[in-house]
Amino acid sequence: MSEFLDFAAEHLPYILEGLPTTLALWILAITFGFFFGLLLAWCRIYGGRLAYSLATVYVEIFRGTPMLVQMFFIYLGLPEIGIVFDPFTAAVVAIGLNTSAYQAEYFRGALLSVPSGQMAAAQAMGMSRMQALIQIVLPQALRRVLPQWSNEAILELKFTSIAFAIGVTEITARAEKIGYQTFEFFNTFVLVALVYLVLTATVAELLAWLERKTYVPGVTARAG
Amino acid sequence: MSTVLRVESIVKRYSDHAVLNGVSLELARGEAKVIMGPSGTGKSTLLRCINHLTPPDEGRVFLEGEELTSENINKIRQRLAFVFQDFNLFLHLTVLDNVRIGPRRILGQSKEEATERALTELRRVGLEDRANYYPAQLSGGQQQRASIARALAMDPKVILFDEPTSALDPELTGEVVAVMKQLASEGMTMLVVSHEVAFARSAADKIIFMEGGYIVEEATPEVILRNPRSDRTRGFLKAIGEQEAV
Ligand SMILES: Nc1ncnc2c1ncn2[C@@H]1O[C@H](COP(=O)(O)OP(=O)(O)OP(=O)(O)O)[C@@H](O)[C@H]1O
Ligand SMILES: [Mg+2]
Repeated sequence: MSEFLDFAAEHLPYILEGLPTTLALWILAITFGFFFGLLLAWCRIYGGRLAYSLATVYVEIFRGTPMLVQMFFIYLGLPEIGIVFDPFTAAVVAIGLNTSAYQAEYFRGALLSVPSGQMAAAQAMGMSRMQALIQIVLPQALRRVLPQWSNEAILELKFTSIAFAIGVTEITARAEKIGYQTFEFFNTFVLVALVYLVLTATVAELLAWLERKTYVPGVTARAG
Repeated sequence: MSTVLRVESIVKRYSDHAVLNGVSLELARGEAKVIMGPSGTGKSTLLRCINHLTPPDEGRVFLEGEELTSENINKIRQRLAFVFQDFNLFLHLTVLDNVRIGPRRILGQSKEEATERALTELRRVGLEDRANYYPAQLSGGQQQRASIARALAMDPKVILFDEPTSALDPELTGEVVAVMKQLASEGMTMLVVSHEVAFARSAADKIIFMEGGYIVEEATPEVILRNPRSDRTRGFLKAIGEQEAV
């Protein structure tokens, strides 16, 4: 045990230097996924035929193929047609596009779960459909989706590790480097796993707090 | 008396089945009319056609002489309030915000003005002490009174009520009926689908009896409740236990 602590004390700082990269990847990707996912859900529910079809095909493709394949395609494939990203941007785009497909499905379910009488009451007062969607339906849908959304956000935090495969020096990449320098793979990967564990637990706690903070009786079943 | 609401020959069909077969009616300023009739007769459909929540297939609606069109509908609805059977209060908003959102976000009043207005209407329906509750924390009767306050805060010319008490436990209908009676006595123009005979008798100027998508007859409460012209009206009142001895 003390041997592990010594190992950790020596190598943790180097691993943690990757933390800003990991967090930046994660925040940019889930934020992008949030807005784009909302747009996709919107198209699938309220859009015309074309918007519906495009959004549906998008969601099916991105949910039906591995994220790693998507990332390699973006980083290694797209340059062949003249679209070049640096590794960090390619990883953000790949993770963001992927999570948006999943988030879209959660948003869609939540939007559809808002009782239709809410829209009717808003329109009956003179709100336009768009105003009713934004002021009445969306705030309820977002509260309802929060538990699922939190799971997705935490999942994506772990998925940022795949960026290592295209050379982004986030925390997994740094751990791998230490492994090959020290040949103490066991300690290395226990250490980096602990780092992820602390991260996901912290994020889970924050999101649970947000859930309690935005809880309204009758909109969601209970505060998480 | 000036006509506030005029409904001309509304027709509504679902697939081949006509639910409304050319329904016309008028409300003068300050008038309260109650619509009664068997289930499935098109009463809710009529109300929803009047404010175009369900667009009618034929027929026209005029509010204060202005015809409802798809262009002006949002403007007109601000003056043509609707109270729903199951309240439909905005679930994520407190009672105060439910009542305030119309004046604030639709009429564009300042926050102070809208709050003042909302509190006035909440006092009017006896809910000022529930202003900070969420809908799910209220009884059905309280929710319906809050939804009436929400309608009133828009300063409507007419309020349409679709069976405002039929989702309530019997012991809670009284508080809602009391608010509606109060409104009628203050001169609010109201079109109310309801089988509350006590309300109709004391507050309605006219009762309209509907069946099968037609208006069968329209007359004062005394005539309808004591001596209806149509056997169908008589049969319906008997069925709900309200045909009075002559
Ligand atoms: N969206 C719809 N699609 C198809 N049919 C409908 C629709 N809405 C109403 N109907 C039909 O129209 C008829 C009239 O319905 P409506 O709800 O207006 O009756 P009602 O008089 O309000 O009845 P109740 O007293 O039960 O509320 C019914 O036969 C109903 O099944
Ligand atoms: Mg009805």
